[in-house]
Amino acid sequence: MSAREIYNDVLNEKIYSKKLENGLEIFLMPKKDYTKKFAIFATRYGSIDNKFRISGEEEVTEVPEGIAHFLEHKLFESQEEGVFERFSKLGANVNAYTNFNSTCYLFSCTDNFYESLMILIDFVQSPYLTDENVEKEKGIIEQEIRMYEDNPNWKVFFNALRGLYKEHPVKIDIAGTVDSIYKITREDLYKCYNTFYVPNNMMVFIVGDVDVDKTFLTIEQSLKSEFKKLEGKIERIMPNESENVHKRRVEENMSVSIPLFNIAFKDINNNLRNRQLLIKDLEIKMLLDIIVGKSSKLYKRLYDDGLINENFEHEYTYDLTYGHSIIGGESKNPDKVYEIICNEIEKIKKIGLNRKDFERIKRKSIGQHISYYNSVEFIGNTFTSYYFKGINLFDYIIELNRINFESVHNRFVEHFDINRSVLSVISPN
Amino acid sequence: MIRRLEPIKLKDYTKLHVIKTDKFKTNLIGVYFQRPLLKEEASKNSLLSMILTKGTKNYPSLMEINRKMEDLYGAVLASDVNKKGERHIIQFKMQLPNKKYIGDKDILEEGLSILNEVINSPAIQNSFFIEEIFLQEKDNLKEKIKGRVNDKIKYAVDRCIEEMCKTENFSVYEYGDVEEVEKINNADLYKHYKKVLASSPADIFIVGDVNEDNVEDVVKKNIQLEVQDPVIIPREEIRKKVENVNVIEDKENVNQGKLTLGYRTNIPYESELYEGCVLFSNILGGGPNSKLFKNVREKESLCYYIFSKLDKFKSIMVVSSGIEFENYAKTRELIEKEIESLKKGHFTEEDIEVAKKSIINSIKSLTDAPNMLMDFYYSRLLSGDRDSIEEIINKIESVNKGMILEAGKEIELDTVYFLNKGKEVK
Repeated sequence: MSAREIYNDVLNEKIYSKKLENGLEIFLMPKKDYTKKFAIFATRYGSIDNKFRISGEEEVTEVPEGIAHFLEHKLFESQEEGVFERFSKLGANVNAYTNFNSTCYLFSCTDNFYESLMILIDFVQSPYLTDENVEKEKGIIEQEIRMYEDNPNWKVFFNALRGLYKEHPVKIDIAGTVDSIYKITREDLYKCYNTFYVPNNMMVFIVGDVDVDKTFLTIEQSLKSEFKKLEGKIERIMPNESENVHKRRVEENMSVSIPLFNIAFKDINNNLRNRQLLIKDLEIKMLLDIIVGKSSKLYKRLYDDGLINENFEHEYTYDLTYGHSIIGGESKNPDKVYEIICNEIEKIKKIGLNRKDFERIKRKSIGQHISYYNSVEFIGNTFTSYYFKGINLFDYIIELNRINFESVHNRFVEHFDINRSVLSVISPN
Repeated sequence: MIRRLEPIKLKDYTKLHVIKTDKFKTNLIGVYFQRPLLKEEASKNSLLSMILTKGTKNYPSLMEINRKMEDLYGAVLASDVNKKGERHIIQFKMQLPNKKYIGDKDILEEGLSILNEVINSPAIQNSFFIEEIFLQEKDNLKEKIKGRVNDKIKYAVDRCIEEMCKTENFSVYEYGDVEEVEKINNADLYKHYKKVLASSPADIFIVGDVNEDNVEDVVKKNIQLEVQDPVIIPREEIRKKVENVNVIEDKENVNQGKLTLGYRTNIPYESELYEGCVLFSNILGGGPNSKLFKNVREKESLCYYIFSKLDKFKSIMVVSSGIEFENYAKTRELIEKEIESLKKGHFTEEDIEVAKKSIINSIKSLTDAPNMLMDFYYSRLLSGDRDSIEEIINKIESVNKGMILEAGKEIELDTVYFLNKGKEVK
């Protein structure tokens, strides 16, 4: 079985892909002249997956919050030589992260790529959990949670999520809480591992100046016989979540110099897939750029009035069962910022968007997206994220070129509903 | 393919450095100005870097500049100030998509000319900066400085250095301080701006797929810099005899204690032992294979992050970690023990190999990111170093245990800083 090849002429990039019998899909983007090689081995298992059932089983499994992240930490434990040691001997840099939807194990290196790749594929398939090493990790993760608790940007964001969502697990802290992690047992961890760390729920992405065939072969030869396709499907149990927001305003005090805010809009129409989902993604991002981007009249007004500063960003994040856009920044008067933004949205609903703004933002988005391809980390991490949403990153630039003004306008009316918005504020003590 | 061309002298104190490569989808232009790091100047330099990108002769408002950048296919314009030892660097950068990806439109010249405008032709009113922009950015700068308390991890390192170097210029915060900002008026700032242009050694960098036959002409045509009387910035004092360890504690409303230990290495970057120092710091706390990570985090579960970092220009090493408040004494003791242990030679050939590989991996990786590559070469320029990447790697490779021990001999604890809880809330 040989690899499929896709070429994107706008980006001048190529991707080779192969899907194995056991369901594992492997992708490789060659990057000539780059010294760094980057590999990511990921599972579609994130912080929102704390309630699930495998078809065929009667029982629903519900696990303590923070378990996906806990498992990520524990996979670095080994019975023999430590994972960090194995990579460091080869000069490779290993790391991992957990987000709402996935857990990703990755390394980058400038030499010894194939050996490092073997270690990556191997260690993710080799959990070694004892009651003792599980307990030990709790102290470390507790410090990680506390570190995030002192981070006002993190707090203002999660508080916004808690305002948006009443039931949906996206509002749960990715690392869990100090209380929830102390409840985690070895059995919980193995149950989750055995359910989600299966080839048909995982993928591999490689980017760098490497040999295609040798890379695919290295991966295939590193797969263990125990690493088998999961029979039956994983049913991820999501609660019913209302279209309405849970709490319109959330405020908390922290040791900061000036208030931080997040203004969030809750998505509806959450049943889109593939191309339709990608188009929605592009359109909402473009809308945010048009309305509150750094070239917008609104940004100028807020900035000139001293209500915001250069730390003013926006993003749209989503998965198959949720989505929200967030506008964040610092302000002496967040409520005023929120009021002005809401008024602007109402105004645009009456007079419409400006087509020239749309054309200019479209051009900017195209150039910007292309420039991101300088970074192997961007390519690897972003491709993986989109893959788990059922989207191929290469389609991004294609659809971006096709976006039309009318569709963007309709999206604006649908997504930017003030009644489905939340203001989260972190104020100084 | 990456090729570093010989530096081109454009004017007496202005040089052009070109790194030609076809591997990126963008071209990156950087213009760097050197100033001395002084309390009286730092705030003015910061304010300048903020004002100049808010309005130019042809694009008199931020909105107009941003719209022009968007028209140029998402070009990015950025400015900042940076501490490099006791130098204060004012920098301007512009990233442009390469013509190959935007229908063969060559926008490099246009980008250079806009960058020139940002630096040389700010929007003015009555011979000074536009009052509205001046006042707005003055306010923003004050908030930015006050905002340093928001990133507790960096704050704990900055505060340690501030206390440690109280009587030295290195203690100056890169963005200045609120009192100095308050004193600045528009006329003064404009005068300072003119002085900066006339007296700051300037370097222009370009990383990208440029035409090496005409790049010098293209830059000369579009960027005008005329430094007549360069300011002299002395080499930092790096040796210090520590009489007593200074212990400082701050109290804030925090969930986690932040501990920073500040050390003097007493080894200048010109020394043959410098690379030994780099290795020492890496073995101590350079990553997940370091002594601190293994012994303080993994073994004792005392922290999630712990690292050691070396400042090349000032020869200071900081060790920093986030911990439970009550573990202050225990953690401090463990860190000091690790350093004593390294000084005694309790590290293996394998530790050295691992550290070398990690450092070399980082250096090689720089060549994959235009901004990192540019900043790296600029930093080397400041230390008078013309080594190629290969030569730098060789220097690291040739470090042996003896050199690391020799380098470690001089390391001395100077200051301990702890960010504790317990601030009175009114």
